[in-house]
Amino acid sequence: MEKEGLGLEITELRLGLPGRDVAEKMMKKRAFTEMIMTSSGSSSDQCESGVVSSGGDVEKVNDSPAAKSQVVGWPPVCSYRRKNSCKDASTTKVGLGYVKVSMDGVPYLRKMDLGSSQGYDDLAFALDKLFGIRGIGVAFKDGDNCEYVTIYEDKDGDWMLAGDVPWGMFIESCKRLRIMKRSDATGFGLQPRGVDE
Amino acid sequence: MNYFPDEVVEHVFDFVTSHKDRNAISLVCKSWYKIERYSRQKVFIGNCYATNPERLLRRFPCLKSLTLKGKPHFADFNLVPHEWGGFVQPWIEALARSRVGLEELRLKRMVVTDESLELLSRSFVNFKSLVLVSCEGFTTDGLASIAANCRHLRDLDLQENEIDDHRGQWLSCFPDTCTTLVTLNFACLEGETNLVALERLVARSPNLKSLKLNRAVPLDALARLMSCAPQMVDLGVGSYENDPDSESYLKLQAAIKKCTSLRSLSGFLEAAPHCLSAFHPICHNLTSLNLSYAAEIHGSHLIKLIQHCKKLQRLWILDSIGDKGLEVVASTCKELQELRVFPSDLVGGGNTAVTEEGLVAISAGCPKLHSILYFCQQMTNAALVTVAKNCPNFIRFRLCILEPNKPDHVTSQPLDEGFGAIVKACKNLRRLSLSGLLTDQVFLYIGMYANQLEMLSIAFAGDTDKGMLYVLNGCKKMKKLEIRDSPFGDTALLADVSKYETMRSLWMSSCEVTLSGCKRLAEKAPWLNVEIINETDNNRMEENGHEGRQKVDKLYLYRTVVGTRMDAPPFVWIL
Repeated sequence: MEKEGLGLEITELRLGLPGRDVAEKMMKKRAFTEMIMTSSGSSSDQCESGVVSSGGDVEKVNDSPAAKSQVVGWPPVCSYRRKNSCKDASTTKVGLGYVKVSMDGVPYLRKMDLGSSQGYDDLAFALDKLFGIRGIGVAFKDGDNCEYVTIYEDKDGDWMLAGDVPWGMFIESCKRLRIMKRSDATGFGLQPRGVDE
Repeated sequence: MNYFPDEVVEHVFDFVTSHKDRNAISLVCKSWYKIERYSRQKVFIGNCYATNPERLLRRFPCLKSLTLKGKPHFADFNLVPHEWGGFVQPWIEALARSRVGLEELRLKRMVVTDESLELLSRSFVNFKSLVLVSCEGFTTDGLASIAANCRHLRDLDLQENEIDDHRGQWLSCFPDTCTTLVTLNFACLEGETNLVALERLVARSPNLKSLKLNRAVPLDALARLMSCAPQMVDLGVGSYENDPDSESYLKLQAAIKKCTSLRSLSGFLEAAPHCLSAFHPICHNLTSLNLSYAAEIHGSHLIKLIQHCKKLQRLWILDSIGDKGLEVVASTCKELQELRVFPSDLVGGGNTAVTEEGLVAISAGCPKLHSILYFCQQMTNAALVTVAKNCPNFIRFRLCILEPNKPDHVTSQPLDEGFGAIVKACKNLRRLSLSGLLTDQVFLYIGMYANQLEMLSIAFAGDTDKGMLYVLNGCKKMKKLEIRDSPFGDTALLADVSKYETMRSLWMSSCEVTLSGCKRLAEKAPWLNVEIINETDNNRMEENGHEGRQKVDKLYLYRTVVGTRMDAPPFVWIL
């Protein structure tokens, strides 16, 4: 079972721990990390120059967890499972479009598809329809004159006033919505929009 | 047996149900071949391109149940482009034309279209059972055809498919006369569900034993569904929202208590962990628990639930359970046969959720364990040696250390000895997946000891062609070999071409095989389809002199009796 590939390797002189071929280990590690470097967009020159000659340069490679995960198909979790159980809130939960909407005084929550609204106006209309109460959405346009305040929980877990950021940014970060009574929010120094302009 | 009339022989054959056994029977003699083929009702085709519909129907004209698998396993991990193949349409067309009495169709990793589903629903009067696993290409419109047209539908089981949800009314397409449902699984649908139609359907299906709901079915609907189906055996909970009001929750508790036949629980796609206690009363009956999609259930709520499940045989869980949680499993679930621990954090935050300690604890506490899939941060040879000693009965052993090439974290040695211990001790091992730092040595062990091994998955392992050769020469029962990112090349690939006739398929991606090597293989073995999947610049793979040494990105070869397939997309070269 001796094959051509083995001949030269056996005679090669190397420094390394007994029982394990360090250079081969570096070669393999290089192969993997090279994959990360090229797939994460950085130039593979960084990798190639130092690695083959000296093991030390391997340490330069970006070992951050984010880079590791960019190897295609690794870890071997099927794509359906990846989409459905990613803990990272910035991917699955928001991307799906359905967010929970709670309204103060209403004993049950609703679910609505943010993806089906085109903008804040649409959202205003949809919220009104959802709870059968007019005037929820008016808050987006006219800060002062409405009984309700619409807030949302963003990716970081903070509660933000809806309507401040552009629509695209909003739907990307909105995890859930809550419609509060304005009376509960007084004392928090809510500036009506347009005051600072 | 030769003195018995055919009918008697056929009657005897009726008792032989496994595919392997029936295949063996058909090889005994011409007369048995003939009797067997006319009496065969269930046919299993592990690779849809190994044969074609015409040959299937010629040989088994009385078939009632067909199982087909399409794409190779690594398609699950996005290594196979979507348009690669695996279309079910030609099969359904041929079956429809032949008027065979199809009752059951089970598909895995195939491309299914709404057109296929519509044709299926209209062509077979007695069609009863549709099981689709990891398929794609269809929408809820296709489901509507099945619902509307299959008068005797018993099973509609959709597992982990990519279905375009048109948010239509497919559930209301089941006619009022449809009362035969036994299995209804639509957990993988993303969109809204017509709850009224669902409740009516469940209420008029007295035989319904398995119901798996999607995300869009909230807790109060769950309570109503369970109370009109107390005969439920297998339940997949959809959404289990936070803060249900006390009335809904009480109703749910009451409904659950009545479901004394419940043996299997899954789902909790969105969960309020503190509501899990509603399920405690029936936990002692559970034999199967799948919480692998329930990211919000962990910590003490999870542990409390598991402590009630003393009869559990199958557990699928996320690694957020931790080593401590696995110790609880080990001390509680003495009947455990199958365990799968999935990674909860795929982006790689480095949270050491489970380690070798959890695995050792499970092996020590669960003597009946025979199948395991374990994603973990680290492993040691010592732990694997202990596991092998504790559990010599493994049939399936799949270990995935999240960081490729990671050595034994205590000794920094490769994990050859650990896996070696596993294959040596587990004489019935049929499936093995390797990970961590591995040299050719582990393959020497596998070739020597893994006599029953049928499926082997290799990633980032081995040093030279010798590794692959050890496996090809040693594992006589090998059926499916899949390798990625390992330094095996043409020498190993070409050493024994006849070996591939005894295997279903070989996958090699990001290895060292070259185009000329693959061409030589294709020449030597015309009964193989040697496919090169080349998604990058096509010009690089041209036929001139030195380009032959170009490394092949993805190679997939499989034995076939029908030659080159005609439906391959342009980026697939069949040599």
